[in-house]
Amino acid sequence: MVKNIEKSHPADCFLRADPVSSVWCPGCGIGTVINTFIQTVEKLNIDLNEICVVSGIGCTGKVAEYLKFKSFQVNDGEVIKYAAKVKSENSDSKVVVFSNNADFLVSGAEDFIEIGKNDVNILVIHINNIIYTITENRAIPTTPFMRASINKDFELPFNIPHLAKSCGARYVARWTPLHAGWLMYSIIDAFYKKGFSVIEVISPCLMYYASNDRMADAAGRMKFYDTNSVIKQDEFTENLDIRINNKIIIGKFVDKK
Amino acid sequence: MKAEVHIINERCKGCNICIEICQASVLEISEEINSNGYHPPVVKNIEACINCGMCEMFCPDFAIWVTVTKEAEVNI
Ligand code: SF4
Ligand code: SF4
Ligand code: SF4
Repeated sequence: MVKNIEKSHPADCFLRADPVSSVWCPGCGIGTVINTFIQTVEKLNIDLNEICVVSGIGCTGKVAEYLKFKSFQVNDGEVIKYAAKVKSENSDSKVVVFSNNADFLVSGAEDFIEIGKNDVNILVIHINNIIYTITENRAIPTTPFMRASINKDFELPFNIPHLAKSCGARYVARWTPLHAGWLMYSIIDAFYKKGFSVIEVISPCLMYYASNDRMADAAGRMKFYDTNSVIKQDEFTENLDIRINNKIIIGKFVDKK
Repeated sequence: MKAEVHIINERCKGCNICIEICQASVLEISEEINSNGYHPPVVKNIEACINCGMCEMFCPDFAIWVTVTKEAEVNI
């Protein structure tokens, strides 16, 4: 039963959903990223119709359903290609992609490279939930180094900022949900770039890491981000691999005109 | 200036991020249970609130926000 709620949150005009909460797990970083994104849009005072949101499958895919912009939800592996198409049809709008690993790393990486090379004006906010197994216990492209899936499947993880820089992205940054304030300024910077920009948000899936003490609950997770990340602005993207037991390097790495 | 913290109990998922992130210890877990079975936060000490907006910024479910009402003009 849905109860009526008299009060309304200042961000409600950006949300498509009725007053019930979102589909994400309690405290999932996706929610914080969406909250930050909405606050950024509010701050920049942009019209709702000037933003197109594209998202794919999985948990991040629900973003398009949830936000009241022109939103598109597409099949896995087609997000970036579709976003470029949306951009060509709505040349006045800013196209923002909310993607996860399955959206362009498992398949569709060639589109990411091609569209990065062509410098299409889209902003990709990649929410990296570093899960380490998917269906049939396979490792996936961001399974951290030295972390095996249940059937002992190893994977050398993708270094997304490095991939983005190699493709010629104009703006590359990486943050965690704890760095929401920094993330906000990154989104503002990237919003006014006239080319391909990529922001990665490291937000490990709460369900996959539920057995890990340091990351078990959402509030404790914030402490984990605090103690296990280090800000290094303009770090070489070659050094940004994520390894278990190493600190996660965050910051802004590329900022071109 | 008087800050006021609003909470939509039905939306809250009891993740406690707001309680943890608040440096002024304004919030605490309530006894109440919402219809999804979560304990939403409750304001325990509004006088301490410094209106930093952190709880609003971090809540993943848009369940909490802060407003400020000007009680009287401040003379400097
Ligand atoms: S915690 Fe994991 S499963 Fe839950 S919404 Fe977030 S990414 Fe999805
Ligand atoms: S505005 Fe700041 S001080 Fe007030 S309740 Fe929220 S986090 Fe605490
Ligand atoms: S951060 Fe939001 S969802 Fe989490 S406990 Fe606080 S009000 Fe509830």
